[in-house]
Order: sequence, then C-alpha cells, then structure tokens
Amino acid sequence: MRRFISITLGLALLLSLTACFGPPVDPDTVQESIQVIAMDTAMVISTYGSRSTAAAYASEDLIRELEAQLSRTEENSDISRLNAAGGETVEVGWDAYCLLDKAALFNAETGGAFNIAIAPVVSAWGFTTDSFQVPSQAELDLLLPLTDPRGVSPARLDDMKFTASLEPGQSVDLGGIAKGYAADKLADLFVEYEIPRAMAQLGGNVLAWGDRPDGTAWRVGVQDPARPDEQNAFAGILNLKNAFAVTSGGYQRYFEEGGKTYHHIIDPATGYPADSDLTSVTVVAEADVLQKNGVMCDAYSTGLFIMGEEEALRFWRNHRQQSQENAFELVLVTEDGRVVVTQGLAESFTPDEGSGYTLEIVS
Amino acid sequence: MRSSPKLRPNGWDALVILLVLALAAGGALAVWGGGRTETGPETAVVTIDGQEADRFPPEDLLENPRTYTSNGYTLTVAYGIDYEDPALNTPSPSGKSGLYVTASDCPTQDCVRTGIITRSGQSIVCLPARIIIQLTGAEPEPGAVDAVVG
Repeated sequence: MRRFISITLGLALLLSLTACFGPPVDPDTVQESIQVIAMDTAMVISTYGSRSTAAAYASEDLIRELEAQLSRTEENSDISRLNAAGGETVEVGWDAYCLLDKAALFNAETGGAFNIAIAPVVSAWGFTTDSFQVPSQAELDLLLPLTDPRGVSPARLDDMKFTASLEPGQSVDLGGIAKGYAADKLADLFVEYEIPRAMAQLGGNVLAWGDRPDGTAWRVGVQDPARPDEQNAFAGILNLKNAFAVTSGGYQRYFEEGGKTYHHIIDPATGYPADSDLTSVTVVAEADVLQKNGVMCDAYSTGLFIMGEEEALRFWRNHRQQSQENAFELVLVTEDGRVVVTQGLAESFTPDEGSGYTLEIVS
Repeated sequence: MRSSPKLRPNGWDALVILLVLALAAGGALAVWGGGRTETGPETAVVTIDGQEADRFPPEDLLENPRTYTSNGYTLTVAYGIDYEDPALNTPSPSGKSGLYVTASDCPTQDCVRTGIITRSGQSIVCLPARIIIQLTGAEPEPGAVDAVVG
C-alpha cells in the first residue's frame, strides 16, 4: 500500500513539475506587432518567433534611421542636404548613395517613367505640402528641364565614403523607392533575427515573410481603386509566401479643382498627372535577400502605372525573356473594368466576385 | 516486520493524497489542457507618434466619444454601427459595430473618410496628427485578409 502511495505521489509531483517548464508554445507562433508612422505613411510590422519582440523593436529603429537619412523633409537628412547644396557635392551615407544609384538604373529601365528628379514638379502641384494647386504651363516649362536624371550624380569614393551632387536648381525625392528599400532591409533583419514569419505593411508596400502560422499563404488584399475609402473593398486577393507586393494608383492621393481630379503620380514627360489607362498597378516578386526585389517592385509600380497597360505588359514580357533574375509579376486594374493578372500569379490571385471586374490572365 | 500503528495510512493521509492529486491535475490541465489562446476580447489601441496612448474595449465609447490631440490636430473617436446606407440608418448585412472618427481638424480628412472599423486588424490612420486607432485581439474572421496593398 505504501509503495502504491509513494508511486502515485511521485507521478503527481512529476506531472506538476512539467508545468514549471512552461506551456507547449510553438516559438514560431509568438507574435509581436508594432505600428510606426514614418516615410509619410503608417506602417504595421508583425513578427513571429522566439525573437519576435527584439526583431520588432529593431525594425522600428531601422525605419527611423532610414527616414532620418532619406527624408526630403527632415532638415539634416542626406537628401535634404543634397537638395539644399545648390549643385555642390555633399557627403552621403551608404543608403542614400545606394538608392540614388538604383534610381538611375530604374530610370533607364523604365524609359524615364520612374524619375526621382521629378521632385520640383511634384512640389509645384503641392503634393509634398498638401497645398494642392494646378501649376501654370509656364511654370511647368521652367521646371521640366530641371528633372533631367543625368544631373543626379552619386559617387563611391571608397568602401566607406560616398558623395552625391545635383545640377543647380534640381532636387530629388526618394519617396517612390524608400519604402521598398526599407522592405529589403527588413528582410535582411528578419534573417539576422531568425524570424520564421512576419507581415510588414509599409503604406502601399507589403513584405509577406515566410507563411502564416497555420502554414498557409498570407492573404494580401489588393485595394479596389474604385472604392479607395472602403475597408475590405478589394479587386482581388493575393495568396503570397515570401514575397514583396507594392501597389501604385492615382486614387491614393489626389485633389479636385474645377471639376477635374488630379492625382499624385506625375508623368516626367509632361509634368502633369499620368494620363494612364490603369487605375492601379501591383508588382509582386519573391522576397529574396540577395536580389533585393522590394526596391524594384516599388520603382516599377510607379513606372508601369505611368506607362499604361500595353507598355507595362510589354515591359513585363521583355524582362521575363531577358533574365530570370529579379522576376516579377503584375496585377493591373484598368479604367475599363478589367483586372489583368500575369501568368505567374494565375494560381495565387483570387478575384473578388463582388468587385465587378472582369479577370484576364495574360502570358 | 509489522509497521507501527502510527505509520499506517489513515483518513487524513487519504485526504492529503487527494489534495495533491487534484492540485497536480489542475495545474497540468491549466498549462497543457487549455493550450495557448492568442485571442481575447476585441480591444481598441490608440497609438500617438509611436507610443501607445490608450487601450479600451470599443463599446466603452458607446455614450462617451473620446478626443485625441497630437501634432496640433484633434480627432474625436466614437462607437457606432456599420450602416449600409448611413442616410437610412440601415445596418449592413454584417450588422457590425465598431469605431470611427466623427470629426477631425486635420487637413487631409483621410481619418474621417476611412469610416467605421469593425474587426480585428483594421485601423484608422491620421498621418497629420500621427495617430493610429487599431482594433486588436478578437478571433480573426474566416477569409479575412492579413494585409492590404494600395
């Protein structure tokens, strides 16, 4: 009898002790979520895994550091100093150099559609200060020569020292690629902190890192451009694992004057809001830390919106034929009520039946 | 060898054994049996300039809207029903209630135009005031999206 009692109590003690080692929590499901207002947008970053809290705080620090260097409105940022230098050469950090260099590449690739030197014209429209106005043609004629991207000259003096200069009167705005660049840096950070899965929403940019805790793909809604102020109004849903997705559309920022709507994506060729037959462009690419596709998606979404449907699809086909690196796919929402999805997304895009759009898969 | 009568189990020993067993089973059930739940009652979290400024159940604002001031702008947040047609006060098919910004003196008015947020994960953002109002905590709806581009 005493042996039975001893064994029973021993087992009970063992059972109790197991609780000391904590609940059976899968470390990959531990979540931390932070919200940051930076780069003129609201950002929400949710990280999972045993180091999720440290990674979330490091993410916020990273974004704040990038904003301090790349913002056009922060007085002492590299870009503000460059814009205020009146044509003189200024020393800049690696991130500013890297983005100025990449911007030149994207400008060439998109035939000038993506252009960071469009900043003086964007300012003339009041989009940087929310003091919207339609500039006169005379003013635009004066400003357009200042948007020549060849005037932007980043230079690498050695591995630690970088400089940049502009032509007198020029200014640059990295708003079209800084969030994509931040997404690339977040992917590096997630690798460093061994984060198995995360969801980073940086304004119109999304980094869907890994998969959802239940093992399925992240569900990323593509906002319906016709219903910009409605939550849960989607053109469709992208099911993504380990991917960047970036959307540009005229509906994101605009003003009305004289019964006409003017949006914020300025065509460098005219100085006017792009007269696109698209209402939004979403660029999707693999979240590969070596290829740095986040910044590419950001630049292409703007450039391809300006190009319009036909030229954007030609650009996609040419890119696909020329190289397997930096492969990307598209979701185009057209003014005439179609959602055009490129072949690579055919399986992962679910159209929203209630949106009224006609789905087209193109190859 | 016979055991001493003092060492023989009696009624008190049985009671102690039962108590230890109950505590062990209860502790194990609490830790192992219930599992880990990541959800709870829906909660509104207000963040101002990156710092959490307020946290409350949305229904707390049913009769008492709250105001938040930051960066020179003031927002008023209230509790309401998601009306399909606000003019007719017809509840939407979802019949959901939630939070919305009733008034703001910010220049963009994006926070007011966002309308009502009714489920966990949704948020209202006022960039000029640097204020984010987000619903968190509740069980996500089946089919809900994790993020939105655009």
